[in-house]
Amino acid sequence: MSRTFKHDFPLHLVLGLLAIFTFYPFIFMVITSFKTSPQFIHDFWGIAWPPTLANYRDAWSRVNGYLFNSIIVSGVSMVGVLIIASISGFVFARFNFPGRELFFFAILALLMIPSVLTLVPAFLLVKDLGLINTYWALILPYIAGGQIFAIFILRSFIAGLPEELFEAARLDGASTLQAFRSIVLPLSKPILVTIAVMNVLGTWNDYIWPLVTIPDSKLWTISVGIVTFGSTLRGLESWGPMFAGFVIASVPMIILFVFTMRYFIAGLTSGAIKA
Amino acid sequence: MAELTIERKTPNVATPTKSRSLWQRTLRYKESYLLILPTFVLILIFNYYPALSALYHSFFEWNGANVNKFTGLTNFITMTQDAILWQSFGNLLKLTVVAVAISLTFPLGAAALIFHLRDLKFAYFYRVLFVVPIVVPSLVVLMIWRFIYSPNLGLLNEILKAISLETWTRPWLGDFNLALYAIMFIGFPWVAGIGTLIYLAGFQGIPAELLDSAAIDGANTWQRFLSVELPLVLSQIKLVVILTIIASIQSFGTILVMTNGGPGTNTMVPGLFLYRNAMQYNKMGYACAIGTVLFAVTLVLTYLNTRYLKSSVEFSGA
Repeated sequence: MSRTFKHDFPLHLVLGLLAIFTFYPFIFMVITSFKTSPQFIHDFWGIAWPPTLANYRDAWSRVNGYLFNSIIVSGVSMVGVLIIASISGFVFARFNFPGRELFFFAILALLMIPSVLTLVPAFLLVKDLGLINTYWALILPYIAGGQIFAIFILRSFIAGLPEELFEAARLDGASTLQAFRSIVLPLSKPILVTIAVMNVLGTWNDYIWPLVTIPDSKLWTISVGIVTFGSTLRGLESWGPMFAGFVIASVPMIILFVFTMRYFIAGLTSGAIKA
Repeated sequence: MAELTIERKTPNVATPTKSRSLWQRTLRYKESYLLILPTFVLILIFNYYPALSALYHSFFEWNGANVNKFTGLTNFITMTQDAILWQSFGNLLKLTVVAVAISLTFPLGAAALIFHLRDLKFAYFYRVLFVVPIVVPSLVVLMIWRFIYSPNLGLLNEILKAISLETWTRPWLGDFNLALYAIMFIGFPWVAGIGTLIYLAGFQGIPAELLDSAAIDGANTWQRFLSVELPLVLSQIKLVVILTIIASIQSFGTILVMTNGGPGTNTMVPGLFLYRNAMQYNKMGYACAIGTVLFAVTLVLTYLNTRYLKSSVEFSGA
């Protein structure tokens, strides 16, 4: 073991250095989140003891609304994408109907369109539909957009499932719905998890679209809210609570990743990348 | 009720189709269409309609409400004379070039280092380690960088003070000459994220025989890297490059939050300029025209990349 370590030492040195540079700002953030403002101003670098938990109470009272909104929007969008994309992916993979390739291309072609192009008309459309300042202004476009990549991945995957499975199901007299439920869904679980996580990541971090469609601060998602939160607390020189708020904003994603890390990395490094 | 059966994947085999009536065949197709209807309703409303509307309104003077006057190519001509737009494309070029250079070096280098680790436990450890920062919301990362660049009590300036380089301290994001470079530097050391993961997957996909035969032929580690490993991850490199370019062309959220295009217009980019024209000046038609140009640029680059990608894949397959 020590021989490999000696051989790997230069690698560890560089990787370790990269790790330090990567993580130090976050570590600094956590340390400062437990300081009072005077403690921070007088001792920029040190660790304060005892930790000031009031910072977290202050930050929580300001950002919990944003977190709630984000959870609703990202959660509902994710479920919507999973349902619609798995059905459509299944249909494109296993059914034959006139215009199938054309329709599939019509979906994929949308990947070419940059979001900046559609921003303005989409905003006006949502306004005309009366959806401004509602969750739907976010959820519906998120499902519409998120399903595209998901359908692409899922069709590939389902088309790759062995024919014998479906043969056996048909011989057993299973209907389409039963085949979908008992063959496709269980086998797609890892890929569905990867799609779900990627979707939540994308919607959670989206900034411009919620900024444009949700003027009401009570409905702000975390990405929009944290900017105002950061500016306000910086103006108040409330450094401790400011960093505490940043930490709180990261917690939901941490929880998500703890549960899905293995699936996510496996899904990314497997077939999806080769596509 | 017509039972919708699962279509066989080899339609040349005798299928039940011929024995079914025309009505039952149509009904079967109807169910396919019905099942994909939600998908198409959504993309028609929220994707195709806005895209076509944007292209259409590029030729109009439009304020989103009552003013909608056809003006032909006026918007595009105005664009060629718009100094701020030229500056923003210049900035975009600089930002994109740097972003691509970064995406080709740091994540690739880190992936190579991890790949060469003999102890697989550590390799897994580093791999997970560099994925962890993804959990921090991107806006929080920007807020942290805003703090790093803060003129008073900012991490960067405090570090400079601590190592006796106080004369180097600056209002980074407010400096006319440095603001754009400060934006480029965000994300240092650029190793965390899926870029590293994609490259690592590429390295791990290299057949062991190729690496072994290179070693047998007497190639040292560095030679092996240049002639075997690097060419065989070319497709991953192409993927990361095109993703980086497309992301760079579209994104302006970072700049909006960090500097709002300032100081002055020194960090302006086309996306942000589009946003400002639409949301602040209500010049929706002009904004759509800018969007159309950005779309055209994206299309050209994607096309070039696809053509170039084909030839390099064929090369590395040999």
